[in-house]
Amino acid sequence: MAPPSSRRIAIVWSGAAALLVVAVVCGLGVGPTSIPPLGVLHSLLSHLGLGHSTLSSFDQTVVWQLRGPRMVLGLLAGAMLSVAGGTYQGVFRNPLADPYLLGVAAGAGLGATLAIVHDGNAINAPTWTPLIAFVGASSAVAITWLVGGRGQRATTATLVLAGVAVASLFTSAQTFLQQQASTQSIARVYIWLLGSLAGASWSSVTLVLPYVAVCIVVCVLAGRALDVLSLGDDEARSVGLSVRRVRVVVIVASSLGTAAIVSVVGLIGFVGIIVPHVIRLLVGTSYRRILPLSVVAGAAFLVLADTVARTALAPSELPLGVVTAAIGAPVFVLILSFRRGMSS
Amino acid sequence: MSIAVAHLSVRIGGTTVVEDVSFTVPAGTWTTLIGPNGAGKTTIVSSVVGLQRLASGQVTIEETDIHELSERTRAGVVAYVPQRPTIPVGSSILDYVTLGRTASHGVLRAPSAADREIVDGVIERLGLAKFRQRDVGSLSGGERQRVVLARTLAQGTRVVVLDEPTSGLDVRHQLELLDLLRKEVEECQLTVLATLHDLTTACQYADQLVLLDRGHVAAFGAPRDVVRSPALSESYGMELRVVTIEGHDVVVPVRG
Repeated sequence: MAPPSSRRIAIVWSGAAALLVVAVVCGLGVGPTSIPPLGVLHSLLSHLGLGHSTLSSFDQTVVWQLRGPRMVLGLLAGAMLSVAGGTYQGVFRNPLADPYLLGVAAGAGLGATLAIVHDGNAINAPTWTPLIAFVGASSAVAITWLVGGRGQRATTATLVLAGVAVASLFTSAQTFLQQQASTQSIARVYIWLLGSLAGASWSSVTLVLPYVAVCIVVCVLAGRALDVLSLGDDEARSVGLSVRRVRVVVIVASSLGTAAIVSVVGLIGFVGIIVPHVIRLLVGTSYRRILPLSVVAGAAFLVLADTVARTALAPSELPLGVVTAAIGAPVFVLILSFRRGMSS
Repeated sequence: MSIAVAHLSVRIGGTTVVEDVSFTVPAGTWTTLIGPNGAGKTTIVSSVVGLQRLASGQVTIEETDIHELSERTRAGVVAYVPQRPTIPVGSSILDYVTLGRTASHGVLRAPSAADREIVDGVIERLGLAKFRQRDVGSLSGGERQRVVLARTLAQGTRVVVLDEPTSGLDVRHQLELLDLLRKEVEECQLTVLATLHDLTTACQYADQLVLLDRGHVAAFGAPRDVVRSPALSESYGMELRVVTIEGHDVVVPVRG
């Protein structure tokens, strides 16, 4: 594949930006109370201090108290999972790497199961699920790093293998807990595992925003270092890259951001693989281009997927993980066949 | 800048692969390591560029211990062409050669105008200007080695270390690449440490040869002396003769 022209890159950027605007308007406007796109735009602009909103106060409440936090959390989750997938693919030099590679998902799953089973049927009690899920996710990655990432002999392969082992261990512990739990708890665990933005509130947005914003910035800034890393460890070091330091910083930022997101929205699959791959297909292999575009496109993709999840079977909701996988898997197959077609 | 290797020993997986190796490469000269497979050539060059952990000994370039430097500082002192360079398919030749300037601009900043000027200069000198935007993955073996050499020279160091830079090339492309390198050595006063398998080319392009045998230095000196030393045939485990054609030494294996 020839390196992309600057015109092509500009077109892809415009497309991603347009998709983001569409996603924001759909995220705020589409639902049981339909709000026209122009009304949403006016309301958005009025919040930025430009003009005044034409919406009724009921519509304002729907847009800003119900759909607003959900849409913003969707943007954050989509951006974080996509950019983390992209950086993982760079740091492990493996196109199949996703943000859950080092055990984040299994750790969060165990944490959430512990919290839900412990809460029992007290549905109205303040939930510890996000906090415990975050602790579980971070511990899983920390253990993976301690087992496979330290010492002079450590390679990305040992780290990935350690991730597989740690994930299996955490999953087995989670399965054991589920077996002991009541049917109601099991149902709640499953709902959590499939991922959803339904629990979003402004407080959950402000809870994860600082971590996620910092992690996204760090991941995007790592683009140039990941391009150097595409030379392989030895050559990257010989041109002056501190490979070990870059690897630690990138893995910590991606994992911490993913853990923060997963702890509030559950496990949403496929975003971290699909989005960076589609972007790579459009703008080539440089992480300086892939990562910032993944932030924008990933944010838009997840909000659009959530709009489908909210509305396809209204009034009931589809789990978001089901929608991303249902869209993601066929897209993935298409990309693969397209790439095979190009290389043959 | 001169290179001094002193009492170098390297152990890999419990086996000593290089033991008590010492030699020096005077500034502005070319030294080639020769020896059969497994003699320790690659281990020595990767030690010289600081990528190998040493069991004992020291590598200094102009009085500085290379293993004490950070990656970024070291990349300003010595550049390296590995035996099998990784080619990042999908990146343009311009982007690939620019990676050689990483130590200069750092990973958080874009290459400066001066960096771009140096890259353009190297691309021009190595005859790659018309390929600038081509995908490095689409190049032939000869072009690829030239692009790797361009990235290495773009680093702008006075010391260049090359591990089998001509492997996989036909004889014409081998000589073209080595001629390009020799021109750079003369024009920019570079100090070169290389490894080569072909003994005849090794003779023609080096100021001195180091013959290695099972991790030890078996002979060291001017090419004409090293290829005539009995250690040459001993280390390869077969008879090798030197014939002279128009003043050039040619090393010929004798089938037993």
